[in-house]
Amino acid sequence: MEADSQRVLEYLTEVEEAAEDVLTTKQQIVELDSKRNKNREALNALKHDMPDTEKVKVCFGNMFIKFPKSKTSEMIQKDQEQLDKEINDLRKELKAKVNRLNEIEGKPELRGYNLSPLSTDEVKAIHNLLKR
Amino acid sequence: MASTKVPEVRDITRIERIGAHSHIRGLGLDDALEPRQVSQGMVGQLASRRAAGIILEMIKDGHIAGRAVLIAGQPGTGKTAIAMGIAQSLGPDTPFTALAGSEIFSLEMSKTEALSQAFRKAIGVRIKEETEIIEGEVVEIQIDRPATGTGAKVGKLTLKTTEMETIYDLGNKMIDSLSKEKVQAGDVITIDKATGKISKLGRSFTRARDYDAMGAQTQFVQCPEGELQKRKEVVHTVSLHEIDVINSRTQGFLALFSGDTGEIKSEVREQINAKVCEWREEGKAEIIPGVLFIDEVHMLDMECFSFLNRALESDLSPVLIMATNRGITRIRGTNYQSPHGIPIDLLDRLLIIATSPYTEKETRQILKIRCEEEDVELSEEAHTVLTRIGMETSLRYAIQLISTAGLVCRKRKGTEVQVEDIKRVYSLFLDEARSSQYMKEYQDSFLFNETQAAAMDTS
Repeated sequence: MEADSQRVLEYLTEVEEAAEDVLTTKQQIVELDSKRNKNREALNALKHDMPDTEKVKVCFGNMFIKFPKSKTSEMIQKDQEQLDKEINDLRKELKAKVNRLNEIEGKPELRGYNLSPLSTDEVKAIHNLLKR
Repeated sequence: MASTKVPEVRDITRIERIGAHSHIRGLGLDDALEPRQVSQGMVGQLASRRAAGIILEMIKDGHIAGRAVLIAGQPGTGKTAIAMGIAQSLGPDTPFTALAGSEIFSLEMSKTEALSQAFRKAIGVRIKEETEIIEGEVVEIQIDRPATGTGAKVGKLTLKTTEMETIYDLGNKMIDSLSKEKVQAGDVITIDKATGKISKLGRSFTRARDYDAMGAQTQFVQCPEGELQKRKEVVHTVSLHEIDVINSRTQGFLALFSGDTGEIKSEVREQINAKVCEWREEGKAEIIPGVLFIDEVHMLDMECFSFLNRALESDLSPVLIMATNRGITRIRGTNYQSPHGIPIDLLDRLLIIATSPYTEKETRQILKIRCEEEDVELSEEAHTVLTRIGMETSLRYAIQLISTAGLVCRKRKGTEVQVEDIKRVYSLFLDEARSSQYMKEYQDSFLFNETQAAAMDTS
């Protein structure tokens, strides 16, 4: 009896941990995307709203620093690339995590989940079939 | 993606018609593949159902493809029911094509073409489509038209999800498509990143009280959750035949809807095969071998059988299930006799499942299930009488009597079918044995009486 409840408890802990893992990864993606959007806004603002200023004030942590504009946009651009890559990696990880969660919960594996997508040309070619 | 043009879904109360096997929901097996006596509309036939269950598991796991199964047994012993059961338990994702053996002779195409189309309808291809979309609720759209009236418009679009909010700068093209879709603040929209296509999903619930009067087609949706820029993955399952059809250019894609697809060139098929195999190598497609069911398979002729022999060896081949009620008989198109009317070489490749006649108890059970299916209440005595009829004539005849007796009962405003109702329809409709008996007695008065003519010739 004691051993049984112990085992159930262990199993439930495992499921909860896996679920928690999925949720944190999701939240992380959300946060990174929100950062990505802020960066995008900043890039737009640099391009459109202040065409003739040479130096801009950039907020690092809790301090504003005057910085050359070209340097700034370059920096943000690099940050964007980094963010894109991180989000992609997280999405890939998320898939494995969801699969693991499904597995220990005893749910069937999602079908076609691990296929690589068709290219846009191929999608266009069989578009009529897909959009039924 | 949902579009909010015209509400295309109309509510039509679907009237389900009752077919002979409409009560079959599956094979009626438990998790250990042991058949339950009565389950999912199936009764008895334990051995054959168990065999079918094993085959079903192998199909599900994708272990067998290019194999063939023959279900053989006397008429009315549940061959089609077992095939239906397999189809039902395969689920919606595995393609199942049913075909009657005689069907291929009446089409306006060659027999082998009809067969290869049926084969290819039974093979599914699973593919994935992936798009990057921006999904959010419109907080504000601001469009500045140039003072001169012409020239580039600029604008800003504010989108939000439950987690974040951001501003997008809009170019001329995006402004045009936004105004074309009549997007306004409070709408929930998606923007396809690759194509820039905008689609409206509906209005946000938080804006439900903005206007008092609203069209019936206004859909309210929740404000999207999570990140703004999402990745959407859609998995489609299409059949090889469908890909064939859109690629045989002479017909164009409309051919898919008209039903008459004509013949498809073998080059097209080869190209499709090559492409699909390439996709599979690249991990872009999964092939799902489905099931092709040919009922009354003894109706096929020698040509078809040799085609089947060859088609089963191709690497894109479904599981073939055939059913026949013939014993040793002539193979159509030849003068040779063979068991089940199927050539020995094909027979050799088959897994054969036999069905046996139902016992009285099972017949009783089946009749009860059919009564429930056809919404007919049967009294205990009537049930017993009907079971006797089923045993002495045929199960099919007894099943026919259910609905007719139900009608008679309703006519006399009864609620439960009594023995009298059964007696009445039994006298109204002849079963096969009585009909033959009648023929023998009164054959002289029928037209074109061959036995009589033969008798005259010899005299």
